[in-house]
Amino acid sequence: MAKHATPLLDQLESGPWPSFVTDIKRQAETKPECWDILGILELSYKDRITHWKHGGIVGVFGYGGGIVGRYADVPEKFPGVEHFHTIRVAQPSSKYYTTKNLRQLMDLWEKHGSGMTNFHGSTGDIILLGTRTENLEPFFWDLTHDMSQDLGGSGSNLRTPANCIGQSRCEWACYDTEEVCYQLTQKYQDEIHRPAFPYKFKFKFSGCPNDCVAAIARSDISVIGTWRDDIRIDQAAVKGYIDGKFPSNGGAHAGRDWGKFDIEKEVIALCPTKCMKMEGGELKINNAECTRCMHCINVMPRALRPGKDTGASILVGAKAPILDGAQFSTLIVPFMKIEKENEFEELTEFIEKVWDWWMEVGKNRERVGETMQRIGLPTFIKVMGIDAIPQMVIEPRSNPYVFWSDEEVPGGFQRDVQEFRRRHAA
Amino acid sequence: MALSKDELKAKILEKAAKSPKPQLYIKDFYECDPDAKPRDIKNIANELVKESKLMFWSSGSTTMYAVPSRIKNEETAGGI
Repeated sequence: MAKHATPLLDQLESGPWPSFVTDIKRQAETKPECWDILGILELSYKDRITHWKHGGIVGVFGYGGGIVGRYADVPEKFPGVEHFHTIRVAQPSSKYYTTKNLRQLMDLWEKHGSGMTNFHGSTGDIILLGTRTENLEPFFWDLTHDMSQDLGGSGSNLRTPANCIGQSRCEWACYDTEEVCYQLTQKYQDEIHRPAFPYKFKFKFSGCPNDCVAAIARSDISVIGTWRDDIRIDQAAVKGYIDGKFPSNGGAHAGRDWGKFDIEKEVIALCPTKCMKMEGGELKINNAECTRCMHCINVMPRALRPGKDTGASILVGAKAPILDGAQFSTLIVPFMKIEKENEFEELTEFIEKVWDWWMEVGKNRERVGETMQRIGLPTFIKVMGIDAIPQMVIEPRSNPYVFWSDEEVPGGFQRDVQEFRRRHAA
Repeated sequence: MALSKDELKAKILEKAAKSPKPQLYIKDFYECDPDAKPRDIKNIANELVKESKLMFWSSGSTTMYAVPSRIKNEETAGGI
């Protein structure tokens, strides 16, 4: 029996799609506080203002992240959600779960919380929605002692690193995303659990430029697999695609008749750098011009594969739209070997250099990408000790201004300007 | 660091206690010892939290530090 009348929310159940309102009503049958979620949301729809107060001092002892405080501003009307804190739990690498682990997690949340979840948040964590302050420590004890799982990141911390399925299941992964994500999560435990930075900071690891964890869109440091030799071509398989022996895109779009596969139209004409052509019945690729967009490999996976000399491109500065709008990360290091043998030394050195600079010059609540924009890419790459390359610029040929620093000019800028102006009027 | 660890701790606590704002960003403590690296300041501020001399306040996206007696607690009437 509904505790509150919710005519506005009820309308959301009338469409053909699954409704979170129906889900919450079902949950409320065993967790009565969920009626108050519906009640407070209905009131927000009516008043056109949120009735949640965000933030607070809640947490578990020794941790400065993983719990997000939330309170109702009308607790007298909705006592079930007077406290409704969110808990972030670190997801396993690649989000591989056993059913046993999922059941344990759900049992734990039924015991200590509302039972409501959000699988997963945009950072990748398991989000458990709604518990009271007094339940936080008992929940944390059970999570860490019975399940050997840990809280994720929140606040001005390193957020829970995330990775794609990598070499565990994907033939295109150019490095072991699971290994590097796990090792860096272990190495930077302090940065994950205790606030260290001017604002949030995210790593994401994608094994290839398909970028299945959206590293380029969401992470402050995006590690995206790539290769620096040639795309491997099986010419017999290329012919097989042309002859219709193999479905394009691994059959992913086979639900509709798109007509006969046309390599010119579906692959060659769509190459962003026009680096491919058919010649003498064979596919030719000018690899020097390839930007690793993955389109041709996605369409003809039997025929084309990434090269063998693999590593990752390192990009910096993506963020979702909070202040200045969304931005993608900027290519900083075109190719870096990602090797376990040296404990990912080159990558961790790079990460820590970015942190040291950002902690020094970043403003409060400023993502590293915003700091880069404010200070300028030339300064950033100078601090990183990296030479500028055309790939760092969106349109390298459209900007005629080239700036030289004093030390780059033989003799420096010691000329007598007055003397120069006598001969060349301004 | 120009200051010793204990001197820096005292400076940070003094700033947190006397600042007009009860909640401070980690960067607000940098001026306590301009010669110290940001990472050293962060480590010492976190040590003060472990000693219960400072507390975290988090909005969920940002974390700030405060002396416990000055911080607003949603669940009690205490604090500023």
